[in-house]
Amino acid sequence: MVAIYGDGDDHAHNDKPTFFKRWFLSTNHKDIGTLYLWFGMASGLLGGFLSFMMRLELKEPGIQIFASEHTYLVFTSMHGLIMIFFMVMPALIGGFGNWFGPLMIGAPDMAFPRLNNLSFWLLPVAFVLLVSSFFVQGSSSGNGFGGGWVMYPPLSTSGHQGPAFDLIIMGLLAAGFASIFGAINFITTILNMRAPGMTMHKMPLFAWSILVTAFLLLLALPVLAAALFMLFFDRNAGTGFFNPAMGGDPEMFQHLFWFFGHPEVYIMILPAFGIVSHVVSTFSKKPIFGYLGMAYAMVAIGVVGFVVWAHHMYTVGMDVDLKLYFMVATLVIAVPTGIKIFSWLATMWGGSIRFEIPMLWAIAFIFLFVIGGVTGVVLSMPAIDVALHDTYYVVAHFHYVLSLGAVFGLFCGFYYWFGKIFGVMYNNILAQIHFWLFFVGVNVVFFPQHFLGMQGMPRRYIDYPVEFATYNEISTYGAFITLAGVIAFFVMMAEAFIVRRPAADNYWGEGATTLEWTLSSPPPYHQFNTLPRVK
Amino acid sequence: MTDPESIDAEISEALNAQKKSASNRKTLGVLTVTAFAMLGLGFASKPLYDTFCKITGYGGTTRVASENTSDVSDRVVRVQFDSNTSKDLAWDFTPEKPYMDVNIGANNLAFYTATNRSDETIVATSTFNVSPVKAGPYFSKLECFCFTEQTLAPGESAEFPVIFFLDPLLLEDRRLDEVTTVTLSYTFFPVENPVGTIKEAALK
Repeated sequence: MVAIYGDGDDHAHNDKPTFFKRWFLSTNHKDIGTLYLWFGMASGLLGGFLSFMMRLELKEPGIQIFASEHTYLVFTSMHGLIMIFFMVMPALIGGFGNWFGPLMIGAPDMAFPRLNNLSFWLLPVAFVLLVSSFFVQGSSSGNGFGGGWVMYPPLSTSGHQGPAFDLIIMGLLAAGFASIFGAINFITTILNMRAPGMTMHKMPLFAWSILVTAFLLLLALPVLAAALFMLFFDRNAGTGFFNPAMGGDPEMFQHLFWFFGHPEVYIMILPAFGIVSHVVSTFSKKPIFGYLGMAYAMVAIGVVGFVVWAHHMYTVGMDVDLKLYFMVATLVIAVPTGIKIFSWLATMWGGSIRFEIPMLWAIAFIFLFVIGGVTGVVLSMPAIDVALHDTYYVVAHFHYVLSLGAVFGLFCGFYYWFGKIFGVMYNNILAQIHFWLFFVGVNVVFFPQHFLGMQGMPRRYIDYPVEFATYNEISTYGAFITLAGVIAFFVMMAEAFIVRRPAADNYWGEGATTLEWTLSSPPPYHQFNTLPRVK
Repeated sequence: MTDPESIDAEISEALNAQKKSASNRKTLGVLTVTAFAMLGLGFASKPLYDTFCKITGYGGTTRVASENTSDVSDRVVRVQFDSNTSKDLAWDFTPEKPYMDVNIGANNLAFYTATNRSDETIVATSTFNVSPVKAGPYFSKLECFCFTEQTLAPGESAEFPVIFFLDPLLLEDRRLDEVTTVTLSYTFFPVENPVGTIKEAALK
């Protein structure tokens, strides 16, 4: 499908700058992508540590680990914020998007390389602001912000009068603006810089997923920014946007937050959809089934994702007609999502399937995402949701789509492109050990939480009655298995970098058809000086 | 590199690059404007949301009427009175009667009693709504203490009146056939910087 005319004179420009210039002043999309990946890994470790402490605490009834209930709530809140804004988004969008967005469409780099640098370096600043909130006064009960990642007022205004939450607001604004700049960059690159012959309808699905994700970021994040600005003014400038005593309405914050928050969940899952599409196609040695349907299903998910937000807040006391609308709109999303699932299955059907490591992650992704999707359909019903709202059933649901969906997509892409990014191959046995430990571990963590939720265990509590002890104990054992999986992951990385088995240009063979496989592993510092022509 | 074809290719590539950077700037402009528009929309949602609630009665927002010219119907609805105070407000605030049985369309007068338990003068203001929320658009107030700020001297008690009627249009709304009870609820909050009648002006 792809042919490159002329070898070009790439190699004349292939001198890499010095270490400081290369990594701190970088404008190269591949280097910035690598920085994003390392950053995501580091914050993933911190976010994972927080959740591991929570699971240790919940192993048995009573309060064992934490000094105060407030600190536990700080851990839950920060776990959510860190994992979403500093792990999944940087790694999936910043990392793989930067690396393979331009490569797949045959572009030499991003449209605005210096803006790209700004996007990345705002993130560590944001992260420092966010993490420093741990150590300053939050509320009268202690340091840090414990109002949940949703930050609802009045708990985040009059309930947390210390400066900790102001630091979080500033951190999230910095991260939000970084993502908006990144989104502008991605959209411009994908719309304007495709190689000759690469029409929109020939564009690889991962590039499509990044394009749709970038539009969601561009439209949703400014609304979060507005809500955060209003919170900041309410806290520090005496306004009353969310204060009923001054004519405001705290419910409006929930509307604004979820108008951002629901597209946000698609922001986290769409790039994973893109990655899984390529992996399934590569290891089934077949082109993806229903390419156009797959691309437009993502567009449809993105569009409908903007009009379903109030299903997160059925319990605020909204009108029954409104609940009906939000229920139906939510159920509609199952249609394009179903198109994607069935197209992946149809791609595998009759294919010559190889169970390489990325394929294991992709199949696990499909399996786990379907479980999370089905519980999502259950929760979309207002009549059921009022009973399950804020229980562990919801926790299990969104961890199945995110912690097991988006994160599996992340690892799937990581193993698929490991050789391409780093130029060395991983050890298959270590990667197998990582996969199986992680797969078993996260399922043992989250599957029992469905039962806890059905039995009525609410989320965001440090303690629980003894009836819930068994499933909580099992769930915590799952966290131990997952921890072993994470250790296996880092052993796998260390081994690969020490042994340094060189990766071939196209180490997956004929199933891998996108442009990045026409380049060396790792690709030259500047690629496509002569643009590839796509037939 | 010297044959004319490749020079042509180079020139056309350079021209392409120029065109590309112009169109990149254009895209950048459009996308930046979009991001700012969404930010503005986020802020605009506050007045939009208030206006929307006032017009539609959404979320149990009651109506303000200047006169009541409706016919009185036989259908009787029980109106229950609910009262709350913010924890920062040292007032006792209770309805005089727990409920009234009212005919739809008829004018009704109800009283709430408030007492200032503290030893300083306090200005307070109240928010209100009705449940079920679908009754909001049909619950009209002619006169209400909630339209203005209220002031009580230390230890002072006062009776706050509310004059309201249920709009007969309610009879035509099939969704309200099942409604036999409507609860009117108020919550008083202290006012930090009393502004007199600004709120009254805003409501009319």
